[in-house]
Amino acid sequence: MQQITDVERTVKTYILNEFLAGEDASQLTPTSPLVSNGILDSLATLKLISFLEQEFKISIAAHEADFEHLESIERIAKLVASKR
Amino acid sequence: MDFSWSPQQIELYDTIGDFAARELNDNLVDKDRRGVFNRSGFKRCGEVGILGLPVPVEYGGLACDPLTTVGALERLGYACRDNGLVFSLNAQIWTATMPIVAFGTEEQKRKYLPGLCSGDMVGGTAMTEPGSGSDAYALRATAVKKGDRYVLNGSKVFVTNGPVADVLVVFARTDKDKSAAGISAFLVDRWTPGLTIGQRLEKMGLRTSPTCELSIDDCEVPEGSRLGREGAGPALLTHAMTWERGSILASAVGSMQRLLETCVKYAKSRRQSGRPIGQFQLVASRVVDMKLRLETARYMLYYGAWQRALGRAAILEAAMAKLHISESWVRSCEDAIQIHGGYGYTTDFEIERELRDAIGSRLYSGTSEIQRMIVASLML
Repeated sequence: MQQITDVERTVKTYILNEFLAGEDASQLTPTSPLVSNGILDSLATLKLISFLEQEFKISIAAHEADFEHLESIERIAKLVASKR
Repeated sequence: MDFSWSPQQIELYDTIGDFAARELNDNLVDKDRRGVFNRSGFKRCGEVGILGLPVPVEYGGLACDPLTTVGALERLGYACRDNGLVFSLNAQIWTATMPIVAFGTEEQKRKYLPGLCSGDMVGGTAMTEPGSGSDAYALRATAVKKGDRYVLNGSKVFVTNGPVADVLVVFARTDKDKSAAGISAFLVDRWTPGLTIGQRLEKMGLRTSPTCELSIDDCEVPEGSRLGREGAGPALLTHAMTWERGSILASAVGSMQRLLETCVKYAKSRRQSGRPIGQFQLVASRVVDMKLRLETARYMLYYGAWQRALGRAAILEAAMAKLHISESWVRSCEDAIQIHGGYGYTTDFEIERELRDAIGSRLYSGTSEIQRMIVASLML
């Protein structure tokens, strides 16, 4: 559980810095929608996948770049955890 | 680091090269002029295994790893001078066949993959619309669920293989309020009522690869024709485009090799002012630049394929390979024309056609500008 929390924190920091600069950090929760509300557009999605691969030393298949795996920080953390 | 091919890989490449050189190069000047798609040659490519290179054996493919696949397509591009045919083959493999492999149900795989691999069927994808190109997620075609069916409406442009396709992967919105997550994909058979193949587009190059517009008017398809779940469009696009960008120009690398050999031979035999033109430093310099572009393009192609073989998305590598190979191909074609002088400008020498074909590579599968944006965004 601790590992998931660490991953969530790292991913949240990355998303805030890269895609939500200047926004209120408290508004981005582990369940905030990322894909369906447009925070992760096509380019941002590619950028996030590359970040996850480098940061956590994992491989993410392109077909995992979808709503199911990337819609929230919580889901992203689960994807990362499943590969470690 | 091992750069050698195995005996099995070499045998595969030789088989493809011998076949392509023997069967795919007839009357190309005329075919290009008239825009003739070589349907029988396409079918023969399926019989030789080219259309199923990366597809699992149980669905009719050869189950080659990504590196072997791009090596085989590179040899095809070297031996086959019909770049339009090669483009149609690639378009099917990367935008129709592989999405079915990755996202299709077992039923969909059994229905389509054997025919696509054998060349009995032709596949393509319908994504681009009059109002959406580089911004793919801006597409407006709709798919409305009605019971156990979807009703599709919209219009598409730049549908490669469209005029000859038996099945098309059609992207449409299943939810207007969900941005990218509202995009889904459907396998639509050619003769489905409501699907109309529109005007065939006349193009500058790749004229032997048929391209058309598509009208979709109240086109009903069963729920089982949806490729992936609802909203899987972005994942499908990311998957297809990453594989496509990283692989579709493998054949261009082969083409660059062929061009270089042609230029070296010409520069050594063509004499001006009492010596071969290759002994003039300005001509030799162009040959050197062509060689450098070829080798760097080949390295980037192989490196990206190796990354994908390790299971990585290889987004950066795919974008860089697409950008570098396409730009290199165009510039090497320009050099080849210049080395050949006035003869290079004539149709019969088949180099001017190569340039016209190469220019398209800067546009399809994401323009060079889009590739630069991707590379920049991953670094900055």
